[in-house]
Amino acid sequence: MPDSADLFDYDAVLAACAQGDQQALHRLYQHDGRHLLGVALRIVRRRDVAEDVLHDAFVSIWQKAASFDAGRGAGRGWVYSVVRHQALNALRGSEREIAVDGDALDALQEAQADTVAEQFELQASMGRLHDCLAHLDSAKRNSIICAYVDGCSHSEIAERLKAPLGSVKAWLKRGLAALRECMG
Amino acid sequence: MNETPDQLQQLAGEYVLGTLPAAARQEVEQRLTREPLLRAEVEGWERRLLPLTSLAAPAEPSTGLWLRIAASVQARPATAALRGATVPVPVKRWHRWWDDLRLWRGLTGGAVAASMVLALLLVSRPSAPETAYMVVLAAPQDRGAGWVVQTSMKRQLTLTPLHDTVVPERKALQFWTKAPGWSGPVSLGLVQSNRSLKLALDKLPPVQPDQLFEITLEPVTGSPTGKPTGPVLYIGKAVKVM
Repeated sequence: MPDSADLFDYDAVLAACAQGDQQALHRLYQHDGRHLLGVALRIVRRRDVAEDVLHDAFVSIWQKAASFDAGRGAGRGWVYSVVRHQALNALRGSEREIAVDGDALDALQEAQADTVAEQFELQASMGRLHDCLAHLDSAKRNSIICAYVDGCSHSEIAERLKAPLGSVKAWLKRGLAALRECMG
Repeated sequence: MNETPDQLQQLAGEYVLGTLPAAARQEVEQRLTREPLLRAEVEGWERRLLPLTSLAAPAEPSTGLWLRIAASVQARPATAALRGATVPVPVKRWHRWWDDLRLWRGLTGGAVAASMVLALLLVSRPSAPETAYMVVLAAPQDRGAGWVVQTSMKRQLTLTPLHDTVVPERKALQFWTKAPGWSGPVSLGLVQSNRSLKLALDKLPPVQPDQLFEITLEPVTGSPTGKPTGPVLYIGKAVKVM
């Protein structure tokens, strides 16, 4: 997360984009480009695809800036949502499972499973979400993190956690319900 | 819709998590435009889960990415503004499009576009002292940027694609230039649709401001006449950088 996240005025930048100010879009790119590319890369897992996602997302931000309503949600969240959904659409549209061979996927999953577990321990900055996730059992927590951070489908979560598909669906359902109750 | 509030929350949650298959994702995206309740649930989940984005390690974008973005957004306002001024395609003889007033009128916008892309490029890459001229080659129909030309003091020219150009079978892309005062365009050779091209300009006079560069669609071995014979796919004017 950029250090100066609190000081950067996303709402003002988006308002300037809506007025056709391309320097504002460039400021957003300079401030968040690295981190947004990181978010996209975790989901689509290929650098060229991730860069295409970031390109399309910035064009989309530029075109939709006028429809962004600062009263409904903070600009930062909106920007990250645009990038994530662009990445998820690229991923779900491309049937990644077929493209990656089984061994490569296993290796990737093991490496990333470790990273996720370690990172989760370190991220006290996630605030209330961290506390609520910490109250979930590890199967539900890992299912949610695998889906959100790594773009895992139901079957990928099942494979990674070595669990039946039905269990994964139930974990996600109950995990989300518990998170909602915990966070309000 | 017939869902219970719990089902609606679940659907919104799984949409934001990203676990819905492609068809279900599209359905939710369509419903979001007309269902405020679903939209509110989705926004709630976006807000709750946003801190998880901090788990992804940052990655350095390649240097050309901002240029691509700038060129794409640059093309957008011009598209709307120039919608009334389309260039007829295909044009049979080179001097017809070359002298076409509408094309020149469009290029004024293109030059503005090129200089604005440049301004943005210079902000992001202040250390490019060797670049002397830059041209953004845009499609005459919709002003969509397709290629970037950069020339250096050392008389080197680089042509870089911003995206793939689909070339029909038995056709090729040919690259041309014409400076003000020249009697006609000079071929700079055939180009591959998705490859960068480097050229030495030692056989031509130095590049001038407003010198035209363009790519036309030609027979697979190139124009048989030595002048452009096919439609103009991309065209732009040189802008001095330093």
